[in-house]
Amino acid sequence: MIDGPLVLGIETSCDETAVGIVHGRKLLSNVIASSVLEHERFGGVVPEVASRAHLEAIWPTIKGALSESKVELKDLDAIAVTAGPGLVGALLVGTSAANALALALDKPLYGVNHLASHVAVDLLTHQFELKPSIALLVSGGHSSILKIEKITEPFEQLGRTLDDASGEAFDKVARLMGLGFPGGPLIDQLAELGEINIDFPRGLTAVKDFQEHRFNFSFSGLKTAVARYLQSNPGYKQSDLAASFQEAVVDVLTKKAIDAAQFSGIETLLIGGGVAANSRLRAVARERATAAGLELRIPPPILCTDNGAMVAALGAQLVSAGKPASALGIAVDASAPISQISWPTSI
Amino acid sequence: MRTLIIDTATSRTSVGLFEGNSPLFAGRMDGATSHGQALPQLVSAALEIGKPISQVVIGMGPGPFTGLRVGIAFAQVFAEARKIPLLGISSLDGIVSGVTGKYIVATDARRREIYWAEFDSGKRTSEPRVSQPNFVKDLGLPVYGEGAQLYGFEADIDMTHPNPLLLLSALESGQRVDRPMYLRKPDALTLEER
Repeated sequence: MIDGPLVLGIETSCDETAVGIVHGRKLLSNVIASSVLEHERFGGVVPEVASRAHLEAIWPTIKGALSESKVELKDLDAIAVTAGPGLVGALLVGTSAANALALALDKPLYGVNHLASHVAVDLLTHQFELKPSIALLVSGGHSSILKIEKITEPFEQLGRTLDDASGEAFDKVARLMGLGFPGGPLIDQLAELGEINIDFPRGLTAVKDFQEHRFNFSFSGLKTAVARYLQSNPGYKQSDLAASFQEAVVDVLTKKAIDAAQFSGIETLLIGGGVAANSRLRAVARERATAAGLELRIPPPILCTDNGAMVAALGAQLVSAGKPASALGIAVDASAPISQISWPTSI
Repeated sequence: MRTLIIDTATSRTSVGLFEGNSPLFAGRMDGATSHGQALPQLVSAALEIGKPISQVVIGMGPGPFTGLRVGIAFAQVFAEARKIPLLGISSLDGIVSGVTGKYIVATDARRREIYWAEFDSGKRTSEPRVSQPNFVKDLGLPVYGEGAQLYGFEADIDMTHPNPLLLLSALESGQRVDRPMYLRKPDALTLEER
């Protein structure tokens, strides 16, 4: 028997227009329209291009998620929508659509945190309750280590990137190598054919960084090191460079995440965000978590990258926990902190 | 026939509700970055007066992109969710009334430019465009709207922004618009152009 609320989630914080529907912890549909191909010729996500694409895609995506799940709008218990962090113009298309649904159908509306959604999506893929966890959130916009006691309560941020996000590092290195955009999947594929034979720097892992930056990341030095390597080795082997760069990122991410779990006395490590789709990160995390005696939870790749199901999943948790709905006219927040899981009841 | 009217193409968020041609509700909030918060509150207030809505009319611009999209996304999803028709019109068609002869209606396009179109006795006679104010000044016609005020044209202080009643009458006389009127390309260079 399925229990829990029937929730539709809308995600438009970057370049994916995504809508998912869940029934408690059961995933019913997950439809994603991406504008990534439109951004390729610009070499990165252009906010205005993304926002225009969201407007075109928003209703077709909602409709697609409804028909895939065979759910009718009137049967929904609540609407959830990403209200931040993200690109303001992009977020506003999603929150406007969500407000319209809530008003047209007379349903409660929950504005939720994008990063917390990346954690909540785990509940759709694992049978057991989420125990207190360390979450490594890695994407084109974020790289943080979070401590989670309960999915509906504010998370504690143990570490974050001081400069580039890990996904951004993949994009920038791919551009240096002339590979295209987005860089993550391209480097992942190339790296499979290469050898890890170039020793790139691991940011903030020196002894002097331990005190202040034990759980923080820095990837801009790595990017510079790759640029320098390319200049002095014009005949470099692409696959080896990809493999060696990727290893430097994966090594730091996994080591620090496991260190954070051990430091906090927490036995579950959860990885989410677009970079969690990286095959090498998944493999190394599994190896090291096992060695450290930690339970590792990583959603399947399609639920790692931005999606609406994760927003619906968090919305359903908020409804189940009896949390109040958000006020109409949710104020989007481009840099919403992780301590804000959902949006307030009054403006 | 009960019509919900929405416009977010200028710094003003306007919402109106009409039974036929009689107004049941009209509300507005000013603020160039407050459409996202203002619109749901105004529509919520309108719905308290009359729940069943027969159709939604939306101002499709031209207008600054982010605010414009707030209105269009809302109007489209609201209409689809209620399974009622959505009718788009140009926001410029709902600003001025009662003027005879040729004139121009202009709104703020930011970056020291205006969105504008030419009208003749209430009927729009040109496609909306975006230009520098001087270009419009040289046409030598009276100019109305927020864009006129901003750049020192002689302006009527009452007819500055789209208003629900005029948008409703424009629905009968004006042309339908089914795409957002951005009139500018996104501000970014392709890798090739750099």
